[in-house]
Amino acid sequence: MKRTALPRFGKGVKLRHDGNGSVMLLIPEGALVLNASAAAALELVDGARPLAEIITAVAERFDVSADHAREDILALFERLEQRGLVQ
Amino acid sequence: MSAPRPLSLLCELTYRCNLQCPYCYNPLDLRSYRDELTTEQWSRVLQQAADLGVVQAHFSGGEPTLRPDLVALVEAAAACGLYTNLITQGTFLDDVLLDRLVHGGLNHVQISIQAPQAALADRIAGAIVHDKKLEALRRVLSRDVALTLNCVLHRLNHDSIEEVIEYALRLEIRRLELANVQFYGWAYRNRTALMPTLEQVRHGEQVVAAARERLRGAMEIVYVLPDYFGDFPKPCMNGWGRQFLTVTPNGYALPCPAAAAITTLAFENVRDRSLQEIWRDSAAFERYRGTGWMPEPCRSCERRELDWGGCRCQAYLITGDAGVTDPACSLSPDHASIASLREGVSEPVYRRA
Repeated sequence: MKRTALPRFGKGVKLRHDGNGSVMLLIPEGALVLNASAAAALELVDGARPLAEIITAVAERFDVSADHAREDILALFERLEQRGLVQ
Repeated sequence: MSAPRPLSLLCELTYRCNLQCPYCYNPLDLRSYRDELTTEQWSRVLQQAADLGVVQAHFSGGEPTLRPDLVALVEAAAACGLYTNLITQGTFLDDVLLDRLVHGGLNHVQISIQAPQAALADRIAGAIVHDKKLEALRRVLSRDVALTLNCVLHRLNHDSIEEVIEYALRLEIRRLELANVQFYGWAYRNRTALMPTLEQVRHGEQVVAAARERLRGAMEIVYVLPDYFGDFPKPCMNGWGRQFLTVTPNGYALPCPAAAAITTLAFENVRDRSLQEIWRDSAAFERYRGTGWMPEPCRSCERRELDWGGCRCQAYLITGDAGVTDPACSLSPDHASIASLREGVSEPVYRRA
């Protein structure tokens, strides 16, 4: 997925916040438990925000370098895109 | 041991069905399940499941669209914050019903076909329904709801596995489940009619591996391995009483949809006790939870928390003892019986009440 892409969730994909602070991505016939940075990135997915902006926001929130955040987040979106969970 | 958090509830709303597929996993004594839970009882079960931590509700059967309150139950599940999945053969999924379901909060639909060719599909289903399913698939694709196409594979249709993939591709289906038949209920009764040949199984593996590579990013193919052909058993339900709950049409709570076959366990009914109580401390759920119940060779096996000893229902069906290692495991002392179960050929017996 390109950094200029405007990611949105595929059909039947929903973020779910539990009372205890954990975040899951509910998908057709399954659920993915998200770590904090993946949850922070996916909370920003709305079909209008560019991927580059999501990367910057997560890097700031977790106080890591943009390069470090970019690598992790691009890999996450790549995996989700392959499964049709993010477009 | 203390009960873990269940994630998934399978609501078997009814065992009634207008098809007669011989590979159905429903129990043989379909008439025993006619006293179905009411809308209010199901709604209470859904709330209790959500309170237990369940995140997904699967509506299945039988054919769940035969329940006139299906829309109300999807709405009830959505109101509890549950992700909702409808598992259907699609023959009643017209525009009106589908729109009401999607409006009510339905997230995902799984529609099954019996084969990619109408004549073969209708022969397996025991009814003329294949063309209606195609209409239902197109309908779901045009709505804001996710779709999985499912085809259960067995000896009668295994040679069409490539055509199933082509069928899904033509419709631009994003998610395809190719599920080798699992031998429970009617399928266990029909095992000699349904058992794939070793050649079919090996060919299927090659076709799926190649298709996954070729269709990467375009179609996800979920492949359910055949039960009787591997060295190790499936991690059935990811462990007994660990993540999954099933409630039968007449209200029995089970750790697995095939568990009613285990007559040595006394399962409890949601009409008598809450789902929370049953999940947390009923003897039947506790019996095979975790690893403490395991005999050898499971007890000291390094895979014991990978496959959880395999399937309790399969162990019971094949050996008469639900508490032994799944005979599908090559380390099981009963493994030789798997080879004999693979033998024999018969005509299928169609499912009927």
